[in-house]
Amino acid sequence: MPNAYVVGAGQSDFGSFPGESYRSLFTAAYENALDSVSDELPSEDIDEAYVGTLGVGGRQLGLSGPAVTEHVGLDGVPCTRVENACAAGGYAVRQAVMAVQSGMADVVLAGGFEVMTDVSGESVRYWLGVSGETEWERLSGTTFAGVYAQMARAHMEAYDTTAEQLSRVAVKNHENGAKNPHAHLQFSCSLDDAQSAPTVADPLTLYHCCPTTDGAACALIVSEDVVEEYTDDRIRVAGVGAASDAVGLFQRETYTGIPASRQAATRAYETAGIDPQDVDFAEVHDCFAIAELLAYEDLGFCDRGHAGPFVESGATALDGELPVNTSGGLKSKGHPIGATGTGQVVEAFKQLSGQAGDRQVETPRYGLTHNVGGSGGAAVVHVFEREHERERASDTTEVDR
Amino acid sequence: MSELARIRSVGVYTPAFRIESESFADAWGQFDPPGIESKAVPDADEDALTMAAAAGRRALTAAGIDREAIDWLGFATTTPPLAEGALTSRLASMLGVPERARTQTFTGSTRAGTQALLAGSSFETALVIAADCPQGAPDETREHAAGAGAAAFVLDPDGAAILTDHGEYATPSPGTRFRRRGSEHVEEIDIGSYERRAFTETISAAAASVPTAGVTAAAVQAPDGKRPYRATAALDVASDAIRACATVHALGDTGAASVPLSLARALASGDHETVLAASFGSGAGADVLRVEVSDGDGVMSDCAVTGERTLTYPAYLRRRGAITTSGTDTGAAYVSVPSWERSLPQRHRLVAGQCPDCNDLTFPPEGACSGCGELVAYEPIELWTTGTVETVTSIGRGGAPPEFAEQQARAGAFGVAIVRFEHGGNTVSLPGQLTAEAAVGETVVPVIRHIYTQEGVPRYGVKFTPHTAHR
Repeated sequence: MPNAYVVGAGQSDFGSFPGESYRSLFTAAYENALDSVSDELPSEDIDEAYVGTLGVGGRQLGLSGPAVTEHVGLDGVPCTRVENACAAGGYAVRQAVMAVQSGMADVVLAGGFEVMTDVSGESVRYWLGVSGETEWERLSGTTFAGVYAQMARAHMEAYDTTAEQLSRVAVKNHENGAKNPHAHLQFSCSLDDAQSAPTVADPLTLYHCCPTTDGAACALIVSEDVVEEYTDDRIRVAGVGAASDAVGLFQRETYTGIPASRQAATRAYETAGIDPQDVDFAEVHDCFAIAELLAYEDLGFCDRGHAGPFVESGATALDGELPVNTSGGLKSKGHPIGATGTGQVVEAFKQLSGQAGDRQVETPRYGLTHNVGGSGGAAVVHVFEREHERERASDTTEVDR
Repeated sequence: MSELARIRSVGVYTPAFRIESESFADAWGQFDPPGIESKAVPDADEDALTMAAAAGRRALTAAGIDREAIDWLGFATTTPPLAEGALTSRLASMLGVPERARTQTFTGSTRAGTQALLAGSSFETALVIAADCPQGAPDETREHAAGAGAAAFVLDPDGAAILTDHGEYATPSPGTRFRRRGSEHVEEIDIGSYERRAFTETISAAAASVPTAGVTAAAVQAPDGKRPYRATAALDVASDAIRACATVHALGDTGAASVPLSLARALASGDHETVLAASFGSGAGADVLRVEVSDGDGVMSDCAVTGERTLTYPAYLRRRGAITTSGTDTGAAYVSVPSWERSLPQRHRLVAGQCPDCNDLTFPPEGACSGCGELVAYEPIELWTTGTVETVTSIGRGGAPPEFAEQQARAGAFGVAIVRFEHGGNTVSLPGQLTAEAAVGETVVPVIRHIYTQEGVPRYGVKFTPHTAHR
């Protein structure tokens, strides 16, 4: 089974863009991904494409994958749309890795896109609830903010986690996002800002919730048979893990963790042959502040119940022992649903190839991405490894468009 | 003494919210309907059907009989949530009344409650429920008086209260209380002497054949707090007898449930051996019933009312939907009517499934067993009991799906919990909205409420109420 490598990854700006279409955003991401390849990767080399999107705002159309790949000129390339709610992008990457490892393709495009800000607030709330359990959970009156708030409440009850610890996730991620020229919300927020923001779903305030965002992201996954045609700086997909679970929170074995994340992480670490402590940085699914705390525990970064003190300790800050969400995460970089998973891979690629600008982590070897669908109905974890040790962060300038 | 039927138990439900007449006076400069000090106000997710379900549950529990024994279910209301379309069969489903039982709906008149009671007399074991929540235009007397409540009666041969006599009378009296086709507001032409005459003369004629000697409590139709006392001469009873079981002073005009609520109060008190019930329906007609309580334990009842909460007038207008917009333009989480219909045992009675192999509980009872992962044929288990809040949130204005936006506009932020139920040492959890605040670890009970209306079809299901709160 050939190894899979990431040879390029790029994203559009994430934000609110009334002047852009889902196709134009995808085009920007695609061109940035191609430009990020060390040596040229001609589009004719692409054998296969997987595109993640939920289809917010009436874009849940048949053939929405080919609609974007055809738009960038990939006529004839087989394209499959991947839908796993907010994990659609991460699963598109996993599909690309599987296509390479199966031997069916040498060069695969994994992409994702979403346009979420061109509809009314009421319509957004409609769409935010379609990826949950609709017959019981949603009809109890919740969207995802409510379901994650229930998880936060359960975690607070079980482990004395505090609202301030939730707010520290927001403060950290905004600090990182302020350094990311592609982030949606490029401003820092104080602890007081996060604490005093209006309540969305108790105990979650507005600053504990990610924005709705327009954007697209792409990654180029290639086989070890061809990787040297495109780069000498090889970034291997070292570990892949995925799992699914009950769509409704009430149907799961725990509310203080995401079992699918735990299973996905275990499999990813196994295939990578590493332990959580080997990870140098991680992009985790922080759609709500509590989700990042749950991720710390589910991914094995800290003991169960210790996520609150862990974020408080500064361990996950940019200069901490395990920087988490250096891109700003979903909270600050934004959460264009179908593009989020591939967007995480863009950050991992930049960090591992030393192109992360002001938020560059010192000489990382292993980077992890963690992408969750719904409130935990699906999860996918990737571990990326830079095969050749870099002596120090050689290039800290972001060069893409 | 003749015996038309026997009342075994009574159950009463009134909504938690009250508004004082002074709040109307502050807003309008006056409060027109005499003799009403406060009135009951349904929550944004309550209507005649949900109140009927609550009262019916109480009467059945008080009666202590097997629901399978019910032969007949009668539902009386002037405010059915649908103008056309059977609701009584849904009520039967909510209460677990067997499908073989006949159902009948009585509407179009405030006399409907006593008509249902009389119709139920023809059956061995009957459940009679009157529930009502009339509305009027905000500046009309009828609206100022309009209250809400429900009363239910189980009739069976072992009942302690005997319905001994009945009289009725009808005569044309156009222009007394009416509701136009398609309107939600009751109106009256407000010719005081004409309406009072229709009221007293009709009741008097109905009472002609009913002996009134020995009556210590008289349940009389109460569109306001003064009108029932005009029937003292017609019924040959003292004002004190009417006051003894009057509910209008505290609950307002409860329409078709007015006389049933007062009758229930008289029977539940245990203080009265002979009770008269006199209903009046505009148009006009009247029923007069005589009820005698035999020796023994009296009528079993569940009429306790606790935890009332007082509304300000603006909060009242919101709850009424008088100052909020309705409906959603962008669609709700679409659950088709057939999908909804298949889940009615769960929506109405919390029927979970127990795995025949590993005994684990699964809700809803479909798909692979949550315990052993096998696809099994579940044993139905009804979870209509107390549950424990496992986790909870309060959904603020921005956090509700659009299908709950109207409810939130009317009633404000609402709690959503995951509640754990136990059965035989196994547990199962389900999500649901809270009707009042509850914390993690708190005990809650299921109640039937309006969930939302989609494609014009009101859909009802379970919400949860703290055990200690009003219910």
